[in-house]
Amino acid sequence: MVANPSLVLNKIDDITFETYEAPEIVEPTDVIVEVKKTGICGSDIHYYAHGKIGNFILTKPMVLGHESAGVVSQVGKGVKHLKVGDRVAIEPGIPSRLSDAYKSGHYNLCPHMCFAATPNSTEGEPNPPGTLCKYFKSPEDFLVKLPEHVSLELGAMVEPLSVGVHASKLGKVTFGDNVAVFGAGPVGLLAAATAKTFGAARVIVIDIFDNKLQMAKDIGAATHTFNSKTGGDYKDLIAAFDGVEPNVILECTGAEPCIAMGVQIAAPGGRFVQVGNAGAAVKFPITEFATKELTLFGSFRYGYGDYQTAVNIFDANYKNGKDKAPIDFEQLITHRFKFDDAIKAYDLVRAGSGAVKCLIDGPL
Amino acid sequence: MVANPSLVLKKIDEIVFENQEAPTITEPTDVIVQVKKTGICGSDIHFYQHGKIGNYILTKPMVLGHESAGVVTEVGPGVKYLRVGDNVAIEPGVPSRFSDAYKSGRYNLCPHMRFAATPSTKDEPNPPGTLCKYFKSPEDFLVKLPDHVSLELGAMVEPLSVGVHACKIGKVKFGDTVAVFGAGPVGLLTAATAKTFGAAKVIIIDVFDNKLQMAKDIGVVTHTFNSKTDGDYNDLIKHFGGQPNVVLECTGADPCVGMGVNICAPGGTFIQVGNAAAPVKFPITQFAMKELTLYGSFRYGFGDYQDAVNIFDANYKNGKDKAPIDFERLITHRFKFDDAIKAYDLVRSGCGAVKCLIDGPE
Repeated sequence: MVANPSLVLNKIDDITFETYEAPEIVEPTDVIVEVKKTGICGSDIHYYAHGKIGNFILTKPMVLGHESAGVVSQVGKGVKHLKVGDRVAIEPGIPSRLSDAYKSGHYNLCPHMCFAATPNSTEGEPNPPGTLCKYFKSPEDFLVKLPEHVSLELGAMVEPLSVGVHASKLGKVTFGDNVAVFGAGPVGLLAAATAKTFGAARVIVIDIFDNKLQMAKDIGAATHTFNSKTGGDYKDLIAAFDGVEPNVILECTGAEPCIAMGVQIAAPGGRFVQVGNAGAAVKFPITEFATKELTLFGSFRYGYGDYQTAVNIFDANYKNGKDKAPIDFEQLITHRFKFDDAIKAYDLVRAGSGAVKCLIDGPL
Repeated sequence: MVANPSLVLKKIDEIVFENQEAPTITEPTDVIVQVKKTGICGSDIHFYQHGKIGNYILTKPMVLGHESAGVVTEVGPGVKYLRVGDNVAIEPGVPSRFSDAYKSGRYNLCPHMRFAATPSTKDEPNPPGTLCKYFKSPEDFLVKLPDHVSLELGAMVEPLSVGVHACKIGKVKFGDTVAVFGAGPVGLLTAATAKTFGAAKVIIIDVFDNKLQMAKDIGVVTHTFNSKTDGDYNDLIKHFGGQPNVVLECTGADPCVGMGVNICAPGGTFIQVGNAAAPVKFPITQFAMKELTLYGSFRYGFGDYQDAVNIFDANYKNGKDKAPIDFERLITHRFKFDDAIKAYDLVRSGCGAVKCLIDGPE
């Protein structure tokens, strides 16, 4: 048995180190990846603190982590494009290959999705393992090879960047668009970065903390920022946005006042993408929405092509070196921990330390 | 001066008959229509009772009515297709020809829209309604009615266009499974449109059995569901044999909007037609996790009026007996112009009218 040191959430408030059995090649297209870098996601913290998110309820222990990159250590005999030693970003959700959702091009909606570190709703089945361990198994087509100049640290940010990519594609963000992003956490910042990369003429990021808004400016993801606590109401936002009503809204908070403000500022005929999760139903100004003929797209995780696009964004951004990189993605990595300090990492992020993205090394 | 007997809403609770001046040809493409049939809309009643809808506030008198058909009586020198004597449906909202909204194909969103019987937000006279003898339209905002489409049906082109616009925005097509919330005139005509566009199944939801029965009787639904007595959204899905992939929300009511999100298939389409008086409780996370798309729908735009006339045309082309949908049954009440105020009071009191038509003045 090959040892697989893993970080396990047993129940609320209870994370421990366990040694499990490493996965093995079973299907010809299986690949074993030695995990090198993993980012902490807000959802991990939510399970740690609350034991559930919506209908996903933790009833048995679960290996944490789903934002990872690593090095290929073993390949099945049907693997065509990856070799041992390749550095890859891991797409952590594997759908059923037979479902209607998969067949129709919406595999993220597959009811049999097996998503790392999300409790399995099926009785008697183990929780899909997370990536905070030494060895993780993926089918070849759910790994994306990282180009030479894209580090493993950036590789661990492909997952949240893919959320922003998926949202921007749903909202058809295109050259010349004027985009408003609510929320300057990692998802909002990466969604803004995607909109900018897709050619948005203006990107305004809205939040209630000036330091977060400063980060958005510093990394080059936003052309404008607005503090919705101190900057005024929606009219002041438009004034701050060169008098322009945004034609695309990327809502990355799930917070009621942000959603309502998004409807108010949107240009008639505009597009609104809901990325952020709301804890409960929100008060929604549906008549203003209908009178302006807005379109609201629900966005959930990422689907076909989004992971590759995210890697391509990093590739294009860094191809002329860090100094010439239009967007300073690496500035988002504010904290780094060794695997043995993983629990400290989780407690730090849970305490609200001002971390943007906190990375944990894989076990040695 | 040509007399133009008109029905005027002066302020809340006060409707009177007045003689106004008839419109005259001023642009080459102007057409004067003698109004023959006008339907009462829920929005008229709302102005009658409350004096406002959202930001549209009645501050000066206004001629009522916007769902009309009539006969052409005069044409300007630049009118190309219409002739005196033609029966036409009147599209009551004329936008600015120069606005970005108009140019980009969304004239219904034009900020300078002058819509009949909707108070102007600017310091100018209220756009006149159609409950009068003579009404002026530019030629391209009139649609000629085929011979076998009556003026009564012509007066229903306006609400049918609302349903057409909603179904086109939501890309309702052959094989779709559709849920319509609300069995009032808009819901019924929206269901009729979905059926005509090829929906395989159409379920209509309301709280009154008689309204659901009307939907069945006129042939616009395959299923009905009484959301007060027939159970919750799981019962609806079971009854319907699956989740609908399109939801057309024609009530604006909180519980209906919530139920619509709950029943809609993943990746499905939700079109908001009905107006809500205040923000609604919206299950946005369920919406996002199913990757639904919500389209706001407002009135109608380019091509919708013609499509609505074409729907009536195709429906009645083989005669009333062979008509797939019995649209005419929706006309439950008819009044002469002199009894127009009685008509408004009847509809306002909630008499079970579906569509109440008022004749034009003699």
